[in-house]
Amino acid sequence: MNAPADEERARFRRTLVRVMAVQVVALAVLWWLQATFSH
Amino acid sequence: MGSMGSMHWLNWAIVGAWLAYNVWDGIRRSRRTDALEGYIVADRSLPWWVVGLSVMATQMSAITMIGGTGQGATDGLRFIQFYLGLPIAMVILGVTLVPYLHGAKVFTAYEFLERRFGPGTRSLTAFLFLLSRGLACGTIIAAPAVVFAAIFGWDVKWAVAMIGIPTVLYTVIGGVQAVAWLDVKQMVIIVASLVAIVVTLLIKLPVSPGEALHVAGAAGRLRAFDFSPNLANTYTFWSGLIGGTFLMLSYFGTDQSQVQRYLAARSVPEARTSLLMSAYWKIPLQALVLLIGVLIFTFYVFVRPPMLFNPAHERVARERAAGYAVLHAEYMDRMAGREQAAHRMVAARSDSELAEAVGQFKYFEVSGGVLRQQALNLVGGLTGESTRDVNYVMPRFVLDHLPIGLAGLFIAAVLAAAMSSIAAELNALATTTAIDFYRRWIRRAAGDAEIVRASKVATGVWGLIACVVAVYAVNLGSLIEVVNRFGSVFYGSILGVFLLAMMPRARGLGAFLGLLAGMGAVLTVILAAPAVSFLWHNVVGAVTAVVVGLGLSAIVRKPA
Repeated sequence: MNAPADEERARFRRTLVRVMAVQVVALAVLWWLQATFSH
Repeated sequence: MGSMGSMHWLNWAIVGAWLAYNVWDGIRRSRRTDALEGYIVADRSLPWWVVGLSVMATQMSAITMIGGTGQGATDGLRFIQFYLGLPIAMVILGVTLVPYLHGAKVFTAYEFLERRFGPGTRSLTAFLFLLSRGLACGTIIAAPAVVFAAIFGWDVKWAVAMIGIPTVLYTVIGGVQAVAWLDVKQMVIIVASLVAIVVTLLIKLPVSPGEALHVAGAAGRLRAFDFSPNLANTYTFWSGLIGGTFLMLSYFGTDQSQVQRYLAARSVPEARTSLLMSAYWKIPLQALVLLIGVLIFTFYVFVRPPMLFNPAHERVARERAAGYAVLHAEYMDRMAGREQAAHRMVAARSDSELAEAVGQFKYFEVSGGVLRQQALNLVGGLTGESTRDVNYVMPRFVLDHLPIGLAGLFIAAVLAAAMSSIAAELNALATTTAIDFYRRWIRRAAGDAEIVRASKVATGVWGLIACVVAVYAVNLGSLIEVVNRFGSVFYGSILGVFLLAMMPRARGLGAFLGLLAGMGAVLTVILAAPAVSFLWHNVVGAVTAVVVGLGLSAIVRKPA
Protein backbone atom coordinates (compact mmCIF):
# COMPACT_ATOMS: atom_id res chain seq x y z
CA MET A 1 0.00 0.00 0.00
CA ASN A 2 2.72 2.46 1.02
CA ALA A 3 5.22 1.45 -1.62
CA PRO A 4 4.87 4.58 -3.82
CA ALA A 5 5.08 6.85 -0.76
CA ASP A 6 8.18 5.00 0.49
CA GLU A 7 9.72 5.25 -2.94
CA GLU A 8 8.98 8.98 -3.05
CA ARG A 9 10.53 9.48 0.38
CA ALA A 10 13.64 7.55 -0.64
CA ARG A 11 13.94 9.58 -3.85
CA PHE A 12 13.59 12.83 -1.90
CA ARG A 13 16.31 11.71 0.54
CA ARG A 14 18.63 10.75 -2.33
CA THR A 15 18.10 14.12 -4.04
CA LEU A 16 18.62 15.88 -0.73
CA VAL A 17 21.95 14.13 -0.14
CA ARG A 18 23.08 15.04 -3.68
CA VAL A 19 22.03 18.68 -3.23
CA MET A 20 23.96 18.98 0.00
CA ALA A 21 26.99 17.22 -1.53
CA VAL A 22 27.05 19.74 -4.41
CA GLN A 23 26.87 22.63 -1.92
CA VAL A 24 29.68 21.20 0.20
CA VAL A 25 31.90 20.68 -2.86
CA ALA A 26 31.15 24.21 -4.19
CA LEU A 27 31.90 25.80 -0.80
CA ALA A 28 35.06 23.67 -0.39
CA VAL A 29 36.33 24.85 -3.80
CA LEU A 30 35.67 28.48 -2.83
CA TRP A 31 37.42 27.95 0.49
CA TRP A 32 40.40 26.38 -1.30
CA LEU A 33 40.59 29.37 -3.70
CA GLN A 34 40.60 31.79 -0.76
CA ALA A 35 43.14 29.79 1.27
CA THR A 36 45.50 29.12 -1.64
CA PHE A 37 45.55 32.35 -3.59
CA SER A 38 44.84 35.19 -1.14
CA HIS A 39 48.05 36.97 -0.19
CA MET B 1 36.05 51.88 -27.88
CA GLY B 2 35.31 51.35 -31.57
CA SER B 3 32.46 48.99 -30.82
CA MET B 4 30.70 51.32 -28.36
CA GLY B 5 27.45 52.75 -29.62
CA SER B 6 27.50 50.52 -32.68
CA MET B 7 27.50 46.74 -32.71
CA HIS B 8 28.20 44.47 -35.69
CA TRP B 9 25.04 43.66 -37.69
CA LEU B 10 25.49 39.96 -36.99
CA ASN B 11 25.22 40.62 -33.25
CA TRP B 12 22.04 42.64 -33.79
CA ALA B 13 20.66 39.86 -36.03
CA ILE B 14 21.16 37.38 -33.15
CA VAL B 15 19.41 39.73 -30.70
CA GLY B 16 16.53 40.39 -33.15
CA ALA B 17 16.09 36.69 -33.92
CA TRP B 18 16.02 35.87 -30.21
CA LEU B 19 13.34 38.50 -29.44
CA ALA B 20 11.20 37.31 -32.37
CA TYR B 21 11.59 33.68 -31.27
CA ASN B 22 10.37 34.55 -27.75
CA VAL B 23 7.14 36.08 -29.04
CA TRP B 24 6.58 33.26 -31.57
CA ASP B 25 7.14 30.58 -28.93
CA GLY B 26 4.76 32.36 -26.54
CA ILE B 27 2.01 32.37 -29.18
CA ARG B 28 2.73 28.72 -30.08
CA ARG B 29 2.24 27.71 -26.44
CA SER B 30 -1.07 29.52 -26.06
CA ARG B 31 -3.16 26.36 -26.56
CA ARG B 32 -5.54 25.60 -23.66
CA THR B 33 -4.89 29.03 -22.20
CA ASP B 34 -8.54 30.02 -22.59
CA ALA B 35 -9.23 27.81 -19.55
CA LEU B 36 -8.41 29.12 -16.07
CA GLU B 37 -6.30 26.14 -14.93
CA GLY B 38 -4.38 26.24 -18.22
CA TYR B 39 -3.66 29.97 -18.15
CA ILE B 40 -2.72 30.32 -14.47
CA VAL B 41 -1.16 26.99 -13.46
CA ALA B 42 -0.53 25.28 -16.85
CA ASP B 43 -3.11 22.59 -15.92
CA ARG B 44 -0.77 21.58 -13.06
CA SER B 45 1.04 19.53 -15.68
CA LEU B 46 4.66 20.73 -15.79
CA PRO B 47 7.48 18.23 -15.18
CA TRP B 48 9.91 18.93 -12.32
CA TRP B 49 12.82 19.95 -14.53
CA VAL B 50 10.76 22.60 -16.33
CA VAL B 51 9.57 24.04 -13.00
CA GLY B 52 13.13 23.89 -11.58
CA LEU B 53 14.69 25.67 -14.57
CA SER B 54 11.82 28.17 -14.54
CA VAL B 55 12.47 28.97 -10.85
CA MET B 56 16.16 29.40 -11.62
CA ALA B 57 15.53 31.60 -14.68
CA THR B 58 13.12 33.78 -12.71
CA GLN B 59 15.72 34.30 -10.02
CA MET B 60 18.44 35.08 -12.54
CA SER B 61 17.67 38.65 -13.53
CA ALA B 62 19.61 40.86 -15.90
CA ILE B 63 21.27 42.37 -12.86
CA THR B 64 22.64 38.96 -11.87
CA MET B 65 24.25 38.74 -15.33
CA ILE B 66 25.71 42.23 -15.55
CA GLY B 67 25.80 43.37 -11.91
CA GLY B 68 26.96 39.98 -10.57
CA THR B 69 29.92 39.82 -12.93
CA GLY B 70 30.69 43.51 -12.26
CA GLN B 71 30.58 42.79 -8.54
CA GLY B 72 33.03 39.90 -9.05
CA ALA B 73 35.39 42.23 -10.93
CA THR B 74 35.28 45.07 -8.42
CA ASP B 75 34.60 43.26 -5.15
CA GLY B 76 35.51 39.60 -5.64
CA LEU B 77 33.71 36.45 -4.53
CA ARG B 78 32.27 37.58 -1.18
CA PHE B 79 28.80 38.20 -2.70
CA ILE B 80 28.41 34.39 -2.81
CA GLN B 81 27.66 34.46 0.94
CA PHE B 82 24.31 36.09 0.16
CA TYR B 83 23.13 32.73 -1.25
CA LEU B 84 24.33 30.43 1.53
CA GLY B 85 20.81 30.10 2.94
CA LEU B 86 19.17 29.18 -0.38
CA PRO B 87 19.72 25.39 -0.38
CA ILE B 88 18.64 25.21 3.28
CA ALA B 89 15.49 27.22 2.54
CA MET B 90 14.64 24.99 -0.42
CA VAL B 91 14.89 21.85 1.71
CA ILE B 92 12.75 23.37 4.50
CA LEU B 93 10.11 24.51 1.98
CA GLY B 94 10.12 21.11 0.28
CA VAL B 95 9.02 19.38 3.48
CA THR B 96 6.80 22.16 4.90
CA LEU B 97 4.99 24.75 2.75
CA VAL B 98 5.09 23.07 -0.67
CA PRO B 99 2.85 20.10 0.28
CA TYR B 100 0.34 22.50 1.94
CA LEU B 101 0.18 24.94 -0.97
CA HIS B 102 0.18 22.35 -3.78
CA GLY B 103 -2.23 20.09 -1.95
CA ALA B 104 -4.68 22.97 -1.36
CA LYS B 105 -5.16 23.29 -5.18
CA VAL B 106 -5.13 27.07 -4.93
CA PHE B 107 -4.19 29.57 -7.65
CA THR B 108 -2.37 31.99 -5.34
CA ALA B 109 -0.49 31.64 -2.08
CA TYR B 110 -2.78 34.25 -0.52
CA GLU B 111 -5.92 32.26 -1.37
CA PHE B 112 -4.50 29.54 0.91
CA LEU B 113 -4.29 32.10 3.75
CA GLU B 114 -8.02 32.90 3.53
CA ARG B 115 -8.95 29.25 4.02
CA ARG B 116 -6.89 29.25 7.18
CA PHE B 117 -7.25 32.78 8.60
CA GLY B 118 -10.06 34.61 6.77
CA PRO B 119 -10.27 37.33 4.11
CA GLY B 120 -8.44 40.09 6.04
CA THR B 121 -5.07 38.32 6.15
CA ARG B 122 -5.44 37.20 2.53
CA SER B 123 -6.25 40.65 1.23
CA LEU B 124 -3.54 42.43 3.22
CA THR B 125 -0.76 40.03 2.13
CA ALA B 126 -2.00 40.10 -1.50
CA PHE B 127 -2.15 43.91 -1.42
CA LEU B 128 1.40 44.18 -0.03
CA PHE B 129 2.58 41.82 -2.77
CA LEU B 130 0.94 43.92 -5.51
CA LEU B 131 2.31 47.17 -4.13
CA SER B 132 5.90 46.07 -3.72
CA ARG B 133 6.17 43.79 -6.76
CA GLY B 134 4.36 46.24 -9.03
CA LEU B 135 7.08 48.80 -8.34
CA ALA B 136 9.88 46.22 -8.22
CA CYS B 137 8.90 44.94 -11.67
CA GLY B 138 9.61 48.43 -13.02
CA THR B 139 13.05 48.45 -11.45
CA ILE B 140 13.83 44.99 -12.94
CA ILE B 141 13.25 46.51 -16.40
CA ALA B 142 14.99 49.79 -15.53
CA ALA B 143 18.33 48.31 -14.44
CA PRO B 144 19.34 46.70 -17.78
CA ALA B 145 17.54 49.45 -19.77
CA VAL B 146 19.81 52.11 -18.24
CA VAL B 147 22.89 50.10 -19.18
CA PHE B 148 21.71 49.49 -22.77
CA ALA B 149 20.79 53.17 -23.15
CA ALA B 150 24.21 54.35 -21.94
CA ILE B 151 26.16 51.83 -24.00
CA PHE B 152 24.30 52.17 -27.28
CA GLY B 153 23.52 55.87 -26.85
CA TRP B 154 19.73 55.32 -27.00
CA ASP B 155 16.90 57.12 -25.30
CA VAL B 156 16.03 54.99 -22.27
CA LYS B 157 12.39 54.71 -23.46
CA TRP B 158 13.54 52.59 -26.43
CA ALA B 159 15.57 50.31 -24.19
CA VAL B 160 12.55 49.85 -21.88
CA ALA B 161 10.36 49.12 -24.91
CA MET B 162 12.82 46.56 -26.32
CA ILE B 163 12.68 44.60 -23.06
CA GLY B 164 9.09 45.27 -22.02
CA ILE B 165 6.99 44.90 -25.19
CA PRO B 166 7.97 41.32 -26.23
CA THR B 167 7.73 40.16 -22.61
CA VAL B 168 4.24 41.60 -22.11
CA LEU B 169 3.13 40.14 -25.46
CA TYR B 170 4.13 36.55 -24.78
CA THR B 171 3.00 36.67 -21.14
CA VAL B 172 -0.46 37.97 -22.08
CA ILE B 173 -0.91 35.45 -24.88
CA GLY B 174 0.60 32.30 -23.38
CA GLY B 175 0.19 32.61 -19.60
CA VAL B 176 2.24 30.45 -17.23
CA GLN B 177 2.60 27.68 -19.83
CA ALA B 178 4.47 29.94 -22.24
CA VAL B 179 6.48 31.67 -19.52
CA ALA B 180 7.70 28.42 -17.91
CA TRP B 181 8.72 26.72 -21.19
CA LEU B 182 10.43 29.89 -22.41
CA ASP B 183 12.26 30.09 -19.08
CA VAL B 184 13.87 26.74 -19.95
CA LYS B 185 15.22 28.12 -23.25
CA GLN B 186 16.22 31.38 -21.58
CA MET B 187 18.20 29.42 -19.00
CA VAL B 188 19.96 27.51 -21.79
CA ILE B 189 21.02 30.70 -23.59
CA ILE B 190 22.15 32.27 -20.28
CA VAL B 191 24.37 29.31 -19.34
CA ALA B 192 25.67 29.00 -22.94
CA SER B 193 26.72 32.65 -23.01
CA LEU B 194 28.41 32.37 -19.57
CA VAL B 195 30.39 29.30 -20.67
CA ALA B 196 31.35 31.00 -23.98
CA ILE B 197 32.62 34.02 -22.04
CA VAL B 198 34.69 31.84 -19.68
CA VAL B 199 36.30 30.06 -22.65
CA THR B 200 37.01 33.39 -24.42
CA LEU B 201 38.53 34.84 -21.26
CA LEU B 202 40.78 31.82 -20.73
CA ILE B 203 41.96 32.07 -24.36
CA LYS B 204 42.54 35.84 -24.19
CA LEU B 205 44.35 35.95 -20.84
CA PRO B 206 48.10 36.31 -21.43
CA VAL B 207 48.85 34.16 -18.35
CA SER B 208 47.83 30.65 -17.28
CA PRO B 209 44.61 30.18 -15.23
CA GLY B 210 46.71 29.39 -12.11
CA GLU B 211 48.75 32.58 -12.55
CA ALA B 212 45.55 34.56 -13.15
CA LEU B 213 44.18 33.26 -9.83
CA HIS B 214 47.39 34.37 -8.04
CA VAL B 215 46.96 37.89 -9.46
CA ALA B 216 43.26 37.95 -8.48
CA GLY B 217 44.14 36.65 -5.00
CA ALA B 218 46.74 39.39 -4.51
CA ALA B 219 44.00 41.95 -5.17
CA GLY B 220 41.74 40.28 -2.59
CA ARG B 221 39.23 39.17 -5.25
CA LEU B 222 39.18 35.52 -4.11
CA ARG B 223 38.10 36.20 -0.54
CA ALA B 224 34.75 34.38 -0.48
CA PHE B 225 34.11 34.09 3.27
CA ASP B 226 33.93 36.63 6.06
CA PHE B 227 33.12 35.14 9.47
CA SER B 228 32.90 38.45 11.36
CA PRO B 229 29.67 38.73 13.39
CA ASN B 230 28.84 42.15 11.94
CA LEU B 231 25.08 42.79 11.68
CA ALA B 232 25.64 45.83 9.48
CA ASN B 233 27.40 43.85 6.76
CA THR B 234 25.13 42.02 4.29
CA TYR B 235 27.94 39.89 2.91
CA THR B 236 29.15 37.81 5.85
CA PHE B 237 28.87 34.08 6.44
CA TRP B 238 26.34 34.54 9.26
CA SER B 239 24.17 37.12 7.46
CA GLY B 240 24.03 34.81 4.45
CA LEU B 241 23.40 31.64 6.39
CA ILE B 242 20.79 32.89 8.88
CA GLY B 243 19.37 36.09 7.33
CA GLY B 244 19.68 34.55 3.86
CA THR B 245 17.73 31.44 4.87
CA PHE B 246 14.83 33.59 6.12
CA LEU B 247 14.94 35.79 3.01
CA MET B 248 14.90 32.78 0.68
CA LEU B 249 12.13 31.13 2.73
CA SER B 250 10.06 34.31 2.30
CA TYR B 251 10.87 34.65 -1.37
CA PHE B 252 10.35 31.05 -2.47
CA GLY B 253 7.66 30.19 0.06
CA THR B 254 5.34 33.19 0.00
CA ASP B 255 6.02 35.29 -3.11
CA GLN B 256 3.42 34.52 -5.77
CA SER B 257 6.00 34.90 -8.57
CA GLN B 258 7.79 31.81 -7.19
CA VAL B 259 4.83 29.93 -5.69
CA GLN B 260 2.94 30.05 -9.00
CA ARG B 261 5.83 28.10 -10.58
CA TYR B 262 5.58 25.09 -8.32
CA LEU B 263 1.79 25.20 -8.16
CA ALA B 264 2.07 24.34 -11.87
CA ALA B 265 4.03 21.14 -11.15
CA ARG B 266 2.38 17.75 -11.80
CA SER B 267 2.50 16.61 -8.18
CA VAL B 268 3.90 17.46 -4.72
CA PRO B 269 7.01 15.26 -5.19
CA GLU B 270 7.69 16.94 -8.58
CA ALA B 271 7.23 20.38 -7.00
CA ARG B 272 9.69 19.44 -4.24
CA THR B 273 12.23 18.04 -6.66
CA SER B 274 12.01 21.20 -8.78
CA LEU B 275 12.95 23.32 -5.76
CA LEU B 276 15.82 21.00 -4.87
CA MET B 277 17.03 21.23 -8.46
CA SER B 278 17.36 25.01 -8.26
CA ALA B 279 19.04 24.57 -4.87
CA TYR B 280 21.54 22.25 -6.60
CA TRP B 281 22.78 24.79 -9.07
CA LYS B 282 22.31 28.20 -7.50
CA ILE B 283 25.60 28.42 -5.57
CA PRO B 284 27.78 26.88 -8.33
CA LEU B 285 26.10 29.07 -10.97
CA GLN B 286 26.43 32.20 -8.88
CA ALA B 287 30.09 31.31 -8.17
CA LEU B 288 30.62 30.98 -11.94
CA VAL B 289 29.10 34.44 -12.52
CA LEU B 290 31.37 35.98 -9.86
CA LEU B 291 34.43 34.07 -11.13
CA ILE B 292 33.82 35.48 -14.61
CA GLY B 293 33.98 38.92 -12.98
CA VAL B 294 37.22 37.97 -11.23
CA LEU B 295 38.70 36.80 -14.56
CA ILE B 296 37.62 40.07 -16.21
CA PHE B 297 39.46 41.94 -13.45
CA THR B 298 42.57 39.84 -14.17
CA PHE B 299 42.17 40.43 -17.92
CA TYR B 300 42.15 44.18 -17.27
CA VAL B 301 45.38 43.84 -15.26
CA PHE B 302 47.11 42.84 -18.52
CA VAL B 303 45.03 44.92 -20.95
CA ARG B 304 44.57 48.61 -20.08
CA PRO B 305 41.07 49.05 -18.55
CA PRO B 306 38.82 52.05 -19.16
CA MET B 307 39.04 54.48 -16.22
CA LEU B 308 35.25 54.91 -16.25
CA PHE B 309 33.21 51.94 -17.42
CA ASN B 310 30.02 53.90 -18.18
CA PRO B 311 30.67 55.19 -21.73
CA ALA B 312 28.16 58.05 -21.36
CA HIS B 313 29.98 59.30 -18.25
CA GLU B 314 33.35 58.82 -19.92
CA ARG B 315 32.17 61.11 -22.75
CA VAL B 316 31.01 63.76 -20.26
CA ALA B 317 34.33 63.59 -18.42
CA ARG B 318 36.38 63.93 -21.63
CA GLU B 319 34.35 66.85 -22.95
CA ARG B 320 33.50 68.82 -19.82
CA ALA B 321 35.64 67.89 -16.81
CA ALA B 322 38.68 70.09 -16.31
CA GLY B 323 41.53 67.99 -14.99
CA TYR B 324 40.15 64.68 -16.29
CA ALA B 325 42.93 64.31 -18.90
CA VAL B 326 45.60 64.64 -16.19
CA LEU B 327 43.82 62.15 -13.93
CA HIS B 328 43.42 59.74 -16.85
CA ALA B 329 47.14 59.92 -17.73
CA GLU B 330 48.12 59.31 -14.10
CA TYR B 331 45.67 56.40 -13.87
CA MET B 332 47.13 54.77 -16.97
CA ASP B 333 50.63 55.11 -15.43
CA ARG B 334 49.44 53.27 -12.29
CA MET B 335 47.79 50.59 -14.41
CA ALA B 336 51.08 50.11 -16.32
CA GLY B 337 52.87 49.78 -12.96
CA ARG B 338 50.23 47.26 -11.81
CA GLU B 339 50.73 45.18 -14.95
CA GLN B 340 54.54 45.11 -14.47
CA ALA B 341 54.09 44.10 -10.82
CA ALA B 342 51.72 41.31 -11.91
CA HIS B 343 54.30 40.00 -14.38
CA ARG B 344 56.94 40.07 -11.61
CA MET B 345 54.53 38.24 -9.31
CA VAL B 346 53.97 35.52 -11.90
CA ALA B 347 57.73 35.19 -12.57
CA ALA B 348 58.83 35.32 -8.88
CA ARG B 349 61.28 32.56 -7.94
CA SER B 350 61.46 33.10 -4.20
CA ASP B 351 59.06 34.07 -1.40
CA SER B 352 60.80 37.41 -0.93
CA GLU B 353 60.50 38.24 -4.65
CA LEU B 354 56.85 37.28 -4.53
CA ALA B 355 56.18 39.34 -1.40
CA GLU B 356 57.85 42.39 -2.96
CA ALA B 357 55.88 42.04 -6.20
CA VAL B 358 52.61 41.58 -4.28
CA GLY B 359 53.37 44.74 -2.25
CA GLN B 360 53.98 46.74 -5.44
CA PHE B 361 50.87 45.29 -7.07
CA LYS B 362 48.74 46.31 -4.09
CA TYR B 363 50.25 49.83 -4.09
CA PHE B 364 49.36 50.42 -7.76
CA GLU B 365 45.93 48.80 -7.28
CA VAL B 366 45.04 51.04 -4.33
CA SER B 367 46.51 54.28 -5.70
CA GLY B 368 44.85 53.62 -9.08
CA GLY B 369 41.57 53.10 -7.22
CA VAL B 370 41.94 56.50 -5.53
CA LEU B 371 42.45 58.22 -8.91
CA ARG B 372 39.43 56.39 -10.36
CA GLN B 373 37.31 57.55 -7.44
CA GLN B 374 38.40 61.14 -8.06
CA ALA B 375 37.31 60.81 -11.70
CA LEU B 376 33.95 59.33 -10.62
CA ASN B 377 33.45 62.26 -8.24
CA LEU B 378 34.20 64.71 -11.07
CA VAL B 379 31.52 63.09 -13.25
CA GLY B 380 29.08 62.94 -10.34
CA GLY B 381 29.50 66.68 -9.81
CA LEU B 382 28.83 67.39 -13.49
CA THR B 383 25.89 65.05 -14.11
CA GLY B 384 24.27 64.78 -10.69
CA GLU B 385 23.77 61.07 -11.47
CA SER B 386 24.93 58.01 -9.55
CA THR B 387 28.44 57.17 -10.70
CA ARG B 388 28.42 53.56 -9.50
CA ASP B 389 29.60 51.74 -12.61
CA VAL B 390 29.60 48.10 -11.47
CA ASN B 391 26.85 47.30 -14.00
CA TYR B 392 28.94 48.55 -16.92
CA VAL B 393 32.07 46.41 -16.42
CA MET B 394 30.71 43.28 -18.09
CA PRO B 395 28.87 44.90 -21.07
CA ARG B 396 31.93 47.05 -21.74
CA PHE B 397 34.21 44.00 -21.74
CA VAL B 398 31.79 42.08 -23.98
CA LEU B 399 31.48 44.82 -26.59
CA ASP B 400 35.16 45.75 -26.61
CA HIS B 401 36.75 42.31 -26.50
CA LEU B 402 34.35 39.50 -27.40
CA PRO B 403 34.41 38.13 -30.97
CA ILE B 404 31.53 38.89 -33.36
CA GLY B 405 28.52 36.75 -32.57
CA LEU B 406 29.37 36.21 -28.92
CA ALA B 407 28.54 39.83 -28.06
CA GLY B 408 25.11 39.31 -29.64
CA LEU B 409 24.70 36.07 -27.71
CA PHE B 410 25.52 37.90 -24.46
CA ILE B 411 23.04 40.73 -25.13
CA ALA B 412 20.40 38.09 -25.97
CA ALA B 413 21.23 36.29 -22.70
CA VAL B 414 20.86 39.52 -20.67
CA LEU B 415 17.50 40.10 -22.38
CA ALA B 416 16.55 36.47 -21.60
CA ALA B 417 17.45 36.94 -17.93
CA ALA B 418 15.47 40.20 -17.75
CA MET B 419 12.45 38.82 -19.59
CA SER B 420 12.16 35.63 -17.53
CA SER B 421 12.13 37.63 -14.29
CA ILE B 422 9.66 40.21 -15.61
CA ALA B 423 7.32 37.59 -17.11
CA ALA B 424 7.11 35.72 -13.78
CA GLU B 425 6.29 38.98 -11.98
CA LEU B 426 3.63 39.94 -14.55
CA ASN B 427 2.08 36.45 -14.33
CA ALA B 428 1.97 36.67 -10.56
CA LEU B 429 0.73 40.28 -10.40
CA ALA B 430 -2.07 39.52 -12.88
CA THR B 431 -3.09 36.28 -11.15
CA THR B 432 -3.21 37.97 -7.73
CA THR B 433 -5.23 40.88 -9.17
CA ALA B 434 -7.71 38.55 -10.89
CA ILE B 435 -8.06 35.88 -8.18
CA ASP B 436 -7.50 37.71 -4.90
CA PHE B 437 -9.26 40.96 -5.78
CA TYR B 438 -11.43 40.75 -8.92
CA ARG B 439 -13.00 37.36 -8.18
CA ARG B 440 -12.91 37.75 -4.38
CA TRP B 441 -14.29 41.27 -4.01
CA ILE B 442 -15.73 42.51 -7.32
CA ARG B 443 -17.29 39.62 -9.27
CA ARG B 444 -17.74 36.57 -7.04
CA ALA B 445 -19.95 34.90 -9.65
CA ALA B 446 -17.45 35.38 -12.49
CA GLY B 447 -16.90 32.30 -14.65
CA ASP B 448 -13.51 30.91 -15.65
CA ALA B 449 -13.54 32.59 -19.07
CA GLU B 450 -14.13 35.98 -17.45
CA ILE B 451 -11.28 35.44 -14.96
CA VAL B 452 -8.91 34.49 -17.79
CA ARG B 453 -9.91 37.68 -19.64
CA ALA B 454 -9.38 39.68 -16.43
CA SER B 455 -5.93 38.06 -16.00
CA LYS B 456 -4.95 38.96 -19.56
CA VAL B 457 -6.07 42.56 -19.13
CA ALA B 458 -4.30 42.73 -15.75
CA THR B 459 -1.06 41.37 -17.31
CA GLY B 460 -1.19 44.13 -19.94
CA VAL B 461 -1.97 46.84 -17.39
CA TRP B 462 0.78 45.70 -14.99
CA GLY B 463 3.18 45.54 -17.95
CA LEU B 464 2.33 49.13 -18.83
CA ILE B 465 2.74 50.24 -15.20
CA ALA B 466 6.12 48.43 -15.00
CA CYS B 467 7.36 50.14 -18.18
CA VAL B 468 6.24 53.59 -16.97
CA VAL B 469 7.86 52.99 -13.54
CA ALA B 470 11.02 51.83 -15.36
CA VAL B 471 11.28 55.03 -17.41
CA TYR B 472 10.91 57.16 -14.28
CA ALA B 473 13.03 54.91 -12.03
CA VAL B 474 15.94 55.63 -14.35
CA ASN B 475 15.98 59.24 -13.20
CA LEU B 476 15.28 58.36 -9.59
CA GLY B 477 18.17 56.11 -8.62
CA SER B 478 17.11 56.29 -5.00
CA LEU B 479 13.63 54.94 -5.88
CA ILE B 480 15.16 51.51 -6.51
CA GLU B 481 16.68 51.63 -3.04
CA VAL B 482 13.34 52.71 -1.52
CA VAL B 483 11.48 49.88 -3.28
CA ASN B 484 13.97 47.28 -2.04
CA ARG B 485 13.80 48.63 1.53
CA PHE B 486 10.02 48.77 1.37
CA GLY B 487 9.86 45.06 0.53
CA SER B 488 12.10 44.14 3.44
CA VAL B 489 9.63 45.75 5.88
CA PHE B 490 7.03 43.03 5.43
CA TYR B 491 8.72 40.10 3.68
CA GLY B 492 9.67 38.35 6.92
CA SER B 493 6.29 39.04 8.53
CA ILE B 494 4.43 37.43 5.61
CA LEU B 495 6.66 34.38 6.02
CA GLY B 496 5.65 34.37 9.70
CA VAL B 497 1.96 34.26 8.72
CA PHE B 498 2.55 31.30 6.37
CA LEU B 499 4.41 29.48 9.17
CA LEU B 500 1.46 30.19 11.47
CA ALA B 501 -0.88 28.75 8.82
CA MET B 502 0.83 25.37 9.29
CA MET B 503 0.39 25.47 13.08
CA PRO B 504 -3.01 24.10 14.21
CA ARG B 505 -3.03 26.38 17.30
CA ALA B 506 -2.88 29.61 15.29
CA ARG B 507 -6.11 31.56 14.83
CA GLY B 508 -7.16 34.19 12.27
CA LEU B 509 -7.07 37.25 14.51
CA GLY B 510 -3.76 36.18 16.06
CA ALA B 511 -2.19 35.73 12.63
CA PHE B 512 -3.47 39.09 11.37
CA LEU B 513 -2.18 40.94 14.44
CA GLY B 514 1.07 38.91 14.28
CA LEU B 515 1.55 40.18 10.69
CA LEU B 516 1.08 43.79 11.84
CA ALA B 517 3.37 43.26 14.86
CA GLY B 518 6.08 41.76 12.62
CA MET B 519 5.99 44.76 10.31
CA GLY B 520 6.02 47.10 13.33
CA ALA B 521 9.08 45.33 14.75
CA VAL B 522 10.96 45.63 11.45
CA LEU B 523 10.07 49.32 11.15
CA THR B 524 11.36 49.84 14.70
CA VAL B 525 14.66 48.14 13.82
CA ILE B 526 14.98 50.23 10.63
CA LEU B 527 14.42 53.46 12.58
CA ALA B 528 16.35 52.57 15.76
CA ALA B 529 19.28 50.73 14.14
CA PRO B 530 19.48 51.79 10.48
CA ALA B 531 22.92 50.20 10.08
CA VAL B 532 21.57 46.65 10.55
CA SER B 533 21.58 44.81 7.19
CA PHE B 534 18.17 44.21 5.57
CA LEU B 535 18.88 40.45 5.64
CA TRP B 536 18.24 40.50 9.39
CA HIS B 537 14.89 42.31 8.95
CA ASN B 538 13.42 39.07 7.60
CA VAL B 539 14.47 37.19 10.74
CA VAL B 540 13.00 39.89 13.01
CA GLY B 541 9.71 40.05 11.04
CA ALA B 542 9.19 36.29 10.85
CA VAL B 543 10.04 35.55 14.49
CA THR B 544 7.90 38.44 15.80
CA ALA B 545 4.92 37.45 13.64
CA VAL B 546 5.07 33.82 14.82
CA VAL B 547 5.58 34.63 18.53
CA VAL B 548 2.89 37.35 18.65
CA GLY B 549 0.55 35.33 16.41
CA LEU B 550 0.79 32.22 18.59
CA GLY B 551 0.55 34.21 21.84
CA LEU B 552 -2.55 36.13 20.75
CA SER B 553 -4.14 32.97 19.33
CA ALA B 554 -3.80 31.33 22.76
CA ILE B 555 -5.35 34.37 24.51
CA VAL B 556 -8.20 34.67 22.00
CA ARG B 557 -9.01 30.96 22.27
CA LYS B 558 -9.18 30.77 26.05
CA PRO B 559 -12.44 32.70 26.67
CA ALA B 560 -14.12 30.63 23.96
